[in-house]
Amino acid sequence: MSRPLLEVRELTCRFGGLVALDRVSFAVQPGEIFGLIGPNGAGKTTLFNLISGVTPATSGEVLWRSEPITGLPPYRRNRLGVARTFQNLRLFDGLSVLDNLLVALQRQPRSSTLAGLLNGADHRRAEQQRLEQAWQLLEELGLTALAERDAGTLAYGDRRRLEIARALATRPELLLLDEPAAGMNPSEKDSLCDLIGELRQRHQLTVMVIEHHVPLLMRLCERMAVLDFGVRIALGTPEQIRHDPKVIEAYLGGAVA
Amino acid sequence: MIEQLLQTLLNGAASGGVYALVALGYTLVFSVLGVINFAQGALFSLGGYLTFLLMGGRIGVNGALPGWALPAGLPFWLALVLAALGSGVVSLGVERLAFAPLRRRGAEPLLYLITSLGAGVALVNLLQILMGAEGYAFPATTLANLPAALNLGGARIRSIQVVLLAVCALAVVALTLWLERSRGGKALRAVAEDPTTAKLLGIDSDAMVRLAFLLSGALAGLGGGLIGVSVSLAGPYFGISYGLKGLAVLVLGGLGSVPGAIAGGLLMGLAEALVPSAASGWRDALAFGILFAVLLLRPSGLLGRRLVEKV
Amino acid sequence: MDNGLLVQMLLGALLGVSVYLPLAAGQLSLATPAFYAVGGTLAALLSTRWSLLGATPEGSLPLPSLGLELVLGGALAGSLALLVGTLVLRLRGIYLAIATIALVEIVRVAILNLPFTGGAVGIFGIPQPFAEASGYLLPALALLALAGWGCQRLEVMPLGRAMAAIRDDELAASCIGINTTRVKLTAFVLSAVLAGSTGALAAHFLNTWNARQGSFDASITTLAFVILGGSRTWLGPVVGGLLLTALPELLRPVGDVRLVLFGLVILLGPVLAPRGLITPALLERLGGRRP
Repeated sequence: MSRPLLEVRELTCRFGGLVALDRVSFAVQPGEIFGLIGPNGAGKTTLFNLISGVTPATSGEVLWRSEPITGLPPYRRNRLGVARTFQNLRLFDGLSVLDNLLVALQRQPRSSTLAGLLNGADHRRAEQQRLEQAWQLLEELGLTALAERDAGTLAYGDRRRLEIARALATRPELLLLDEPAAGMNPSEKDSLCDLIGELRQRHQLTVMVIEHHVPLLMRLCERMAVLDFGVRIALGTPEQIRHDPKVIEAYLGGAVA
Repeated sequence: MIEQLLQTLLNGAASGGVYALVALGYTLVFSVLGVINFAQGALFSLGGYLTFLLMGGRIGVNGALPGWALPAGLPFWLALVLAALGSGVVSLGVERLAFAPLRRRGAEPLLYLITSLGAGVALVNLLQILMGAEGYAFPATTLANLPAALNLGGARIRSIQVVLLAVCALAVVALTLWLERSRGGKALRAVAEDPTTAKLLGIDSDAMVRLAFLLSGALAGLGGGLIGVSVSLAGPYFGISYGLKGLAVLVLGGLGSVPGAIAGGLLMGLAEALVPSAASGWRDALAFGILFAVLLLRPSGLLGRRLVEKV
Repeated sequence: MDNGLLVQMLLGALLGVSVYLPLAAGQLSLATPAFYAVGGTLAALLSTRWSLLGATPEGSLPLPSLGLELVLGGALAGSLALLVGTLVLRLRGIYLAIATIALVEIVRVAILNLPFTGGAVGIFGIPQPFAEASGYLLPALALLALAGWGCQRLEVMPLGRAMAAIRDDELAASCIGINTTRVKLTAFVLSAVLAGSTGALAAHFLNTWNARQGSFDASITTLAFVILGGSRTWLGPVVGGLLLTALPELLRPVGDVRLVLFGLVILLGPVLAPRGLITPALLERLGGRRP
């Protein structure tokens, strides 16, 4: 097996007396689509928060290419290659769709503040490159026609895609998608599924997806982990997960009782 | 020598008690809304002036109604309680004007700071138009039955400071007991802890927010009345300076912590009292110096806890 | 309108822009008057005590010395902001509001009590680089033009976009690789530099300088500039500063209610007109300019 891109070891997160994550461990291999399922409150989003650095871990470690990044702030992790979307969408609503991407493209390429103030050649060239990349991403996600609109005025599905585009603009290696299909109808879900596959190819991504819709996840993922009350109760291919007695217990047992 | 030290410590504890009242007012609103009500200092001023007027005090020559006074004055204790209540009611008005519209809109927390600042400034300057910028002193007979000084173990102590400390202690104890024991107090804490769950339990969170404002305004008004009697009303802005120092106390104790606000208030009062008189000009900066020291060394304050943002 | 009032209005506009800068990154700083006071005090001290600056016994001052003071005033205020900002800006936004109020008070008490700043009376007889008030129009305008040009450039620069992003959603901004603390700090320092330079100019214009220049009241006044004008574009605080500085002078009879008025602006502005008078949409309608 190759060296994992991301690994979490014994990751634990407590809020007051509540244990949101309890010694969770697994590794994500480069290039795979890795699913995360579990009932509400199982700790899926908390896990994303710990990986992206939004919430500090109580104990345990997050490793990026075998280097610990547990204490790094979110922006440092993003610069290393971790990008994410949010379950409840956090766009820059007051900025235009295009600006939402340009702000994420600041470092692609970098230019100095002085050059920016004086509108120097460096700055103009960098801006030109950023614009080109932004338009390309807009096209990829079918948002070209909306470029000048304020992000706050977009329809729900467009907002979801814009958030993915914004994450991609930071040139991540690992993309964390938190319920990307929430609120979508079956046909939208299907095309989203295809889109994620395409994006992985085109951007050489590793993807982690949280999704409630289990069939979609089974189709999309190579491997997945199941969380229940903050504990990782299963890990494996969709086929293994489907037949795992603990998973059946967690899902069906809960429903029956 | 001992007498002097005792008096100094008592002065410190007394003004510390008042700081604790102000900081507790901030804490109540902060714990239910997560924002600071910058109008707190103005309500402090209001409490002082209301106490003065209710006792039959006369408006000065620079006021809007020079020479006007209530036909009959109330005794100090009654006036103080009514003034605190009055400040509480005005605090409800502040909530209605500066907080409620933004809450309905789900506006960013930053805006609450701005609107409450505006409410405070408007209130203080309205007071200034009504009462004039001059200072007012309470009559020497305010505490009619008490001698001006008490004999405490051979040391003579200004009795007003003892009264001040006692009233503050009473208010703090009553508030803490109420928060811990009563239904209303528990409901308030539930909203502060977790608004969503509180709602599921059938607690009306809007009512709790209003209750927090009523109480915090009353605490500020009580503090203002007490300082008015023990020092004087040094112009409508006197409350603002207590309000600002209350912010330093709040940070010292830890944002949102009730015991922190009390301990921080007492510490701040004592620290100020111990400033040697040669450096008294700097006394007003001490609180803010302490504030920066706390931010440098322990931003969560003495008894605060780390707040984690929900994502 | 006399020239003195025009200069005051321009100074108001400059202070408005100073409050606007951190606000454009979602940070409420009430410290503009403190930085203004620091810059003014430095200019007052230097020009009255440092003979190298070339102040004459008749009270005039060579123009290059004024320029130097503007730079030094801005630099001192900026350094102070760097110190305070480094301490505070890693914490939640509420701490900046509190800490900047504290800074205003500390600076006020310091100017009142330091042995060399003239106590309650302050420093007076500050040398004049210009014979008449109208002379100050040009440097004030130049400073405002520089500030406006900088703000305008920010809108198409990574720094300005990062500020706008943080204002909208700080957490999301940090998740797309923006070092939010650094961006907020930059905005705060820029705000201080502008206020410091403005103070240095104002000290000469006003001829005397004391602790009252940087008070809690001044925090309110300058905040009102931005709330009235709006903080979505730098032109908002400029218009707010010009208007609200002129208003009390033009309506002398209402003198006493000035701060009540400003209080009401700050109280009702965010409720009734959250975006202020001057908004990007308005500018677009007026001039077809896409901000």
